[in-house]
Parts: sequence; C-alpha cells; structure tokens
Amino acid sequence: MMFAFAGEDFFRALLQGTPPGTVYALIGLGFVLTYKTSGVFNLAFGAQAYISAAMFFKAREDWGWSIVPALILSVFVLAPAIGLILERLIFRNLRTASAVSKLVIAIGLSVALPALFELVAKYKPVAGRSPTGIVPNGSSVFYDPFGVYPFSRDELAQIVVAVVAMLLLAALFRLTSTGLAMRAVVESPRMTELAGIPADRISAFAWAISSMFAGMAGVLIAPRLNTLISTDFLTLVIIAMAAAAVGRLVSLPGALIGGMGLGWFIALFNTYLPRWSDDHTWLKPFQDNLTPSLPFVVLFGILVFWPAIRRSIDATDPLAGVDPPPPALASLTRHPRLTRQTRLFGLVFFSYIGWVVFTQADIFWLDAVTSAVILATIYLSITVITGFAGQISLCLGAFAAIGGFTVFQMADRYDMSVLLAALIGACIAAIVGVLLSLPVLRLGGVWLAIATLAFAFFFDAVMVKFSWVGGGPTALLTGTKVPRPILGPFDFGASDRSFLALALVVFVLVALAVIQLREGTIGRTLRALRGSEVAAESIGISPARARIIAFAVSAFIAGLGGAMLAMHQENVDYGRNFTPFAALFWLVLVVSLSARTVEGAAQAGAAFALFAALILDGALFTWLPFITEDNLPGIFPISGKWRFVLFGLTAIQFARHPEGMVEFGKRRATAKRNARYYARDAERAVATEGGSS
Amino acid sequence: MTAVLESQGITKSFSGIQALSDVSVSVTSGERVGLIGPNGAGKTTFFNCLLGILTPDAGTVTFLGKDIGGLPVHKRARAGIGRTFQRIELFSDTSVREHLLIAERVHNGTGAFWKDLLGFGHPTRDEISRCDEVLELLGLRELGDEPIEALSLGQGRLVEVGRALMTEPSLLLLDEPSSGLDREETTALAATLREVQNEKGFAILLVEHDVELVADFTERLYVLDFGSLIAEGPTAETLSHPAVRTAYLGTLEIDTA
Repeated sequence: MMFAFAGEDFFRALLQGTPPGTVYALIGLGFVLTYKTSGVFNLAFGAQAYISAAMFFKAREDWGWSIVPALILSVFVLAPAIGLILERLIFRNLRTASAVSKLVIAIGLSVALPALFELVAKYKPVAGRSPTGIVPNGSSVFYDPFGVYPFSRDELAQIVVAVVAMLLLAALFRLTSTGLAMRAVVESPRMTELAGIPADRISAFAWAISSMFAGMAGVLIAPRLNTLISTDFLTLVIIAMAAAAVGRLVSLPGALIGGMGLGWFIALFNTYLPRWSDDHTWLKPFQDNLTPSLPFVVLFGILVFWPAIRRSIDATDPLAGVDPPPPALASLTRHPRLTRQTRLFGLVFFSYIGWVVFTQADIFWLDAVTSAVILATIYLSITVITGFAGQISLCLGAFAAIGGFTVFQMADRYDMSVLLAALIGACIAAIVGVLLSLPVLRLGGVWLAIATLAFAFFFDAVMVKFSWVGGGPTALLTGTKVPRPILGPFDFGASDRSFLALALVVFVLVALAVIQLREGTIGRTLRALRGSEVAAESIGISPARARIIAFAVSAFIAGLGGAMLAMHQENVDYGRNFTPFAALFWLVLVVSLSARTVEGAAQAGAAFALFAALILDGALFTWLPFITEDNLPGIFPISGKWRFVLFGLTAIQFARHPEGMVEFGKRRATAKRNARYYARDAERAVATEGGSS
Repeated sequence: MTAVLESQGITKSFSGIQALSDVSVSVTSGERVGLIGPNGAGKTTFFNCLLGILTPDAGTVTFLGKDIGGLPVHKRARAGIGRTFQRIELFSDTSVREHLLIAERVHNGTGAFWKDLLGFGHPTRDEISRCDEVLELLGLRELGDEPIEALSLGQGRLVEVGRALMTEPSLLLLDEPSSGLDREETTALAATLREVQNEKGFAILLVEHDVELVADFTERLYVLDFGSLIAEGPTAETLSHPAVRTAYLGTLEIDTA
C-alpha cells in the first residue's frame, strides 16, 4: 500500500513537471540553436521572451485583440523580426569576436531591449493584472486523464505547442538542406561560403527561428507569473542555459533532455523534499526558496562537476586566421605637455565641482553626488575583474550586498563600529569570492561568467532570505537600520557633507590601490592573461592563481562599496541596489564607458547616479542662461529607461572597442594633440641643431 | 654535452586514434634540433605533451635531469622551457617593452600583492634596461613603445621570442615560426635566432614544415610520420633518407607508356 502510494507521488510529480519541462526544453533548444549558428551566448534570450510575452499581453488586454492575431503578432512577427535585426545589425559583423565580447554584447542587449520595448510600445507592468495563456479559460478548466494530476488547459497547450515546435525543428534539421547548411555554418561560416552556401542568410534564418522559440516560450510561460516584469524573465536564460549545458551547448537532443529533466527534477524535488518542522526552523528559507533556485544550482553543478563542458568552450573557426587583425589602439604614451594640461584641467574642474557641491548643493544633489562616489567605488571592482583580468563577473551585486548586510548585522547585533564592520564585510565578500572562483577557475571565459550569474541568482533567491544575511522577517517589518559611522572626533552622521567627504576618501584610497595594482606585478600578470592565456602560461604565469587574486580583490572592493552604500542610505536596500539585474546594468555601464581605467569607474558612477537628474530631468539645461524649470522644453523629463537603452546599446561596441567608448574617444582625441606636440618637438630639435652648426 | 630535454616513449591516443606511439626525442644544451613531419604526423600533439597542455598516455619527459611529467604548463615554463606560437599570441593593448617586462617580472619578481599595493610594483630601471638589452639583440629597440597591434607578423614573432628570452630558458620551443612569413622574412628570422642563441646559449627545438628552413637552421633532425619517428640524425643525412622523402614528397610514379 505504502509503495503504491509512493509510486503515485512519483507519477504525479512527473506529470506536474511535464508542462514546464517542455517549455524549458523549448528555450533550451532555441538557445542551442543561436549558439550553434553564431557562437553567441545569447543572454538577451530572456529579454526576447519578455518582449513577446508583453506584446501578447498588450495586444490582448489593452487592444482587445483575440488570441490568434495577438499570437501571430508577438511570436511570429515581432520575435523573428527582432532576431533578424540583431543578426543583421550586430552579430553578423562579429563572427570572429571572442566569446566573451559576444557575451558582453548580449548582456548589453538584455539590459536595453526590454526598456526599449517598454518605451516604444508604451507598456507598463501593472501589479495584479495577471497574464493569460494562449487558450481561453486556460487556468480554470482542468483535465485529468490519469486520475493523478489535473492538467490545466494552459499546461496542455504548453505541452502541445512545445512538442509541435520541436518536431518541426527536428524535421528542418533532418529533412531539409537548410538544416544541413545550418550545421555547416556552425563549424565555419567562411568554409561554408566557399562551398557556395550563403552563410549570412543561413545564420539569419537560425536567429529568426531561435527568436521565435524564445518568444513562444515567453508567451507560454507568462501565465505562471503574477505580473509581467522583465527581470523575471532573466531567470529564463538560466533555465535555458542549464538545459543547453546538458547538451554541452551543441546537442539539440541534449537540450531537449536537459529541459525535460529540469522540469521533472524540480517537480520530484518538490514532492520528496522533507517538510520542515519547528525543530528545524533554519531549514525554512532553504525549503521556501530552493525550488525556484534549482535551475541555478543545477547549472552551477553542471559547470563545476561535468568535465566535458570544458572541452566545448573554444569552438574556433578553422579559417579564423584569414581575418584581418583587430584595429590598433591609439598609442598609450602621451606627451608630457599633454599630461600637464590634462592634470591642470582636471584640478580646476574638480575643484570647482567640489566647491559647488560642498557649498551650494541641497540635500537632493548631495545625495546624488554621494551615491555617484560610492557607486564609482563599487565599479572599481569591475575595473579589476573585467578591465584588468578580462573576466566577466556577474555577481558583484551579491558581493556588494554581502558588504552591506555585514554592516547591518554587525551594527544591529553587536553594536560594532560600522567602519570596522565595513572592512569585515569586504573581507567576507573576498572570501566568498575566492570560494566561488575555486571550482570554476578552470572554466574561464564565458563559463566563468555564467557560473557567477548562477551564483548571483542563487544569492538573490535563497541567501538574502536568511535572517543571518538579509535580516529575515524582522528586517521586512522594521527595515535594516544601518547607522552612519563615527571615527574618533569625526561624526560622519552629523551632516550629509561630512559623509560625502568620507565617501570621497574611501574612493580615492581604493582608486590609488587599484592604480598601484595595475602598475605592479598583479596588474601586469592580469593584463597578460587577458591578452592571451596560453602565452601567459608560457612565461610561467599561473592563470588560476592570478584569477583568484583578481576575484578576491574585486569582491573586496565591491563589498566595501556595498557597505558604504548601506551607510549612505542608512539601510540595506537590496531590491533597489544589488539584484542580479542591477549588477548586469553595472557591468554594461562600466564596459560601455571604460572598464580599463579608474576614470572610467568614476564616470560610470556619475552616469548611474547623476545622468537621470542632470540630463533626463533636464537640470543641466536649467543652468543654461534663459532656461528655467518653467520654460524647460516639453521633452523633459525624459524616461529613466533611456539609460538602459543608451548604455545597453553602447555596450554593443565592446567587441570593437574593448577599452570602452569614452576611453576610445579620449585616445583618439589625444592622439592628434600628441602627434602635434611631438612634431613640434622634432621641429625644435632640428632648429637648434641647425643653429649650432 | 648534457641532455636538456629527454622524452622517452611518449604515447598518446585520442579515442582510438594513435596520435603518437613511442616517440623519444632528446635535445642537448646549445643544440638546434628540428622536428618535422607532414600534416597530421603528430608534431603538435608531441609539442603539447612536452609543454603539459596534453598528458601523454605513456612515457616520461625529463628536463634538466628532473621528471617534469606531472607539472602544469606554467611550472614547466618556470623550469626553463620557453616557447613561441604558430598562430601568434601577444597581449593586446600592451606595448612591446611591456611584453618583455611582464615576462621579466614573472621570472624574477617576488612578493607581489602587498608590494604592488604600497607602490613598489612599478618597473625598476634595472628591469627596463634588461628588457632593452634583449630588444636590442632582436633589433626591436626602436619599437619598444609601439602598441603590439602596430607590428608586422615577423616583428610580432620576434616579440614572442623576446618575451620567452626574458625567462632565461634553457630550451626554446619554436612552433612553426615560418608560418605566415615569406622566404626573406624567414631567413632574417633564422639569422636573428642564431645570433641570439650564440649569445645566450640555450637549446632550440624547432617544429616546422618548411624544409628549407629546417635544412638551413638545424643540426639534428627527427622526422615524424603517422605518430612515430621514421628517421633521426644529422639534418642533411636525415633529409636524404628514403623513408623521409617518401613521407614528405610521396612516391612519384610517372607513366612513361
């Protein structure tokens, strides 16, 4: 009897896991398809799914369209159109870019696309308006074919649509020459072209199909969400990658098995998870949050424990060598006179800004400037890990949150000095960074980035909820109170100005340390590693050791910055500051400006905290003569979402200008002057020689 | 003459395909040795086994009398194996001198982290002059401040050599240095290499398919075909070995009828 009951449980779990499993398989397949045909780790997949889901929702609810036209518009027109545009405008030109550059571009797109869609389509997520599925009464009519688990009509629709889509894909690959050509394009677009097949068109076709899969998955999965919010769809990417990773990113059947397996695994896990009792209250946050975080755990586990994944990393085109080398960057050496000029200008400029801020600024501007300074500190962690080491770390938000939470916990529980607590928090973040990097170090490149993303989501879904991390239920009620620091005679809580001074000191100290590291052995080692791992090894550099150091330093800086931010806001506002999406935007911002210099981090901090107030709200223009707040042109205030669009799209330049757009512009501008000064030097040398002889 | 490198019975197979079987190669100090073979003979596999990029299924690699079979790639480099790459591998956004400085620092540097943090990590005058010496030797002195992207392929290959030299190797492995270069550039590269070798006294193992360069440059030769050594000995003799000619040029049958 008992056994039969357990069997029924098992069967029910399998049935329950089937509808989500088929959708997971669908996105896994789409992900593999894009990766196979263009080598792009399409992190924007979630964004594409979101756009179709939101389009469907908008057409249905706001425009009152019926299901079929709404479905055609969102999945069969909009989704492939986006895929084609991305392929044509961006990825076609990047065939030979490194996998990491392509990843950064996809991250930029995942930040920009949802914002762009919301702006263009005037879509706004409203809480309480749940999305509906592709069949009428999808969530209220049930069928129970086996007498164990009642399927809703939505769930049946998910299974049917996903299975049909997969069969069509299989037929395409098996039965048509286009499918064969697609497989060839994966290996080498150039070689395929030599054989007379238009690789571009094939690749565009693959993008259209995979985008359609993404859109379909988004529409199918939407009824499971309460409100359509773009950040929720980021998780879809993780699910897609977990499914795709099972097939080592290249096998379509593998992705199918991975997706279905993930659906079943989650349902089984849910069924057989022991229920918590009063004796084990500490288990509750795990139990409540482990299920939604399972895809992250599974993905991380696959990356760490499955050696086969490592071998699939570098799929290089055998004909890649025929490509022209990347354009040379402008010379790094500057004429001493140019350096003097820049320094003088910087000194005058910043003295003036400092004077204005410290004497004139009201509470709003002080808050904005302080935020900018602290964010700039946090962004230095990106300078170290991405700018110096060339690694993409997507969990810096989690490290910053660790710093913030430590300060809160230490101050709350032990009444510890917050500055000391900030240092402890930074150290804890560094230790976590090292522990995280150890298992994935050998992966390198894209996989390392994905593993950190999985960790960021895990931290987001599970760790934050613990009372010893995020404060638990009490913090939800009373907030996470963080006091401003007092150091000897200095009370940095006395005024916002004094705290800004402290934030500036911290930033300058960290910036100096980063500059010293860059000029020293560590910086050089990391630069070598960024340039060429094999060459770095060939002169005796241990990549693992260098990366551990980079991870630790970057996590330390992020933790310290996070602690400062918590002190500034007198509260650890995780949802506003430290979510995985926030960290993605940080990266996009820093990379699009300049990831390799300290000024880049400072500019990014200013861009994050001041761009909206200065430009989008129009404050900068009210400082111009004849313009006041009253006669400000009607376009202001501009929506803050344009930030995501602007910086997200700028990040697309990463492949061509890995040093960042601002840095690129700066180098180009200085190159001319540099040349002029050197030319003048030469003239003068000739003149003096001529005079003496 | 003492053996610098001694590989004994290196065997490696990839899922059933025998890439190397029982390959034994030795290089004595100051010697220029060539390793040639047609495409797919196993040259690269053998190279990777020496460097630790691949682990051989059987066989030992002894370097300066020590078994280095278990060491990872970077430790073998530290033990004194320098190398260049067939497809050039340089550090982007970095000047020529910087390439050498990095290698110099990795080779001689100590106590990195705190030293760096306190501002003692900047290159010293000593280090810079040592780099400039090597640049001079290679004829790259003028290009010291150039970004690496501005160099030609031949110059880039010399930078690779310079970078390897900064680690004071006892053995320099050259992986098809002639690939991508024309005859003239190849001859110039060979001349520079010979000059530098006379100065520094390291041994060279050259993996190459350009027979002309091999004939001109090396003293002793190993010939690989289908994963096993088919000939070895002084270069001129070995090149005229009938088995080598068959492997390389194939048998030519002219239909005279």
